[in-house]
Amino acid sequence: MSRRKRGVAMEDDEPELNMSSLIDVTFLLLIYFLVTSTIQPKEKDLPMTLPSNAQSEAPVDVDPMLIAVKGTGSGFSVVVNKVEQLDTSVAGRERKLPLLLENLTQYSTVAKSSGQEPIVNLFIDPELPQQAAIDVLNCLRGAEINTVTFTEHAE
Amino acid sequence: MASNKLRAFNATDEKEKEMDMSPMIDMVFLLLIFFIVVSSPLIVKMDPKVTPAIAYNAIDPSEKNGRIVLNVRGEDEYYRVDFDSEDAKMTSQDEVTEYVKAEVERIESLNSEYVPQLHLRGDRNTLFKFSQTAIKGAAEGGVNKVIFSVYPFEKTK
Repeated sequence: MSRRKRGVAMEDDEPELNMSSLIDVTFLLLIYFLVTSTIQPKEKDLPMTLPSNAQSEAPVDVDPMLIAVKGTGSGFSVVVNKVEQLDTSVAGRERKLPLLLENLTQYSTVAKSSGQEPIVNLFIDPELPQQAAIDVLNCLRGAEINTVTFTEHAE
Repeated sequence: MASNKLRAFNATDEKEKEMDMSPMIDMVFLLLIFFIVVSSPLIVKMDPKVTPAIAYNAIDPSEKNGRIVLNVRGEDEYYRVDFDSEDAKMTSQDEVTEYVKAEVERIESLNSEYVPQLHLRGDRNTLFKFSQTAIKGAAEGGVNKVIFSVYPFEKTK
């Protein structure tokens, strides 16, 4: 009888690891990192084709649109076809150029309805930051225009 | 000989000491699956000194092959994809053209179906003239498709 009791007592004495504190700390760290972390945006693509590589099966009947983006000190202004002044700078958190987008959408619709690829000649003031160029390219993409020529002359 | 009562007591005592690990394992697998689903593979190695501009109409990268990466930090400084190596820096349009030509040859030798494209990672505050130089250099090297690398939204702080 006494031998058997001693055996049971030895089994009870086996060391066991208490996992609950480890789980507490793990969740505490998880919540800490969830709260303090910042969301790093993933890089995306804004693809554009330069015309020499674009397919031009149909003859060009629709005039290419000329967009000139000129610096105005604090921002930039957008002039379409040398005369029509549109947005003077980006608006809102999403960096929209609503007038330019509307104009481009109309142009794109007209060109595509006549079975042609809309072509845009784009002049960007070389002293403007890259972001200004991307704002305009973003509008082109919004109007489903994928072919653009970068020109060095606004006139 | 232990009594039935003692045996029952010992049995309940053993059960109390065991911790049920299954909910924790469930949670771990749930988190693992979540991060596998939401994460995406890196298309190109990113130069941390370049912060791309923002464009909300940008699309998800689809094709990894054929990209000729050029990081434009500013002031006529263009870096290859291995931006941290010693000979990664280029300072003129001619050097960009040479680099693009070499990359086009390399890409076409890998697979003739790959379309060489310029993957331009320009810093948002870099003057556009430097990006334009890079585009011109690439065009002279025979690449007319340009992918501007952008962020779809501003980084939250």
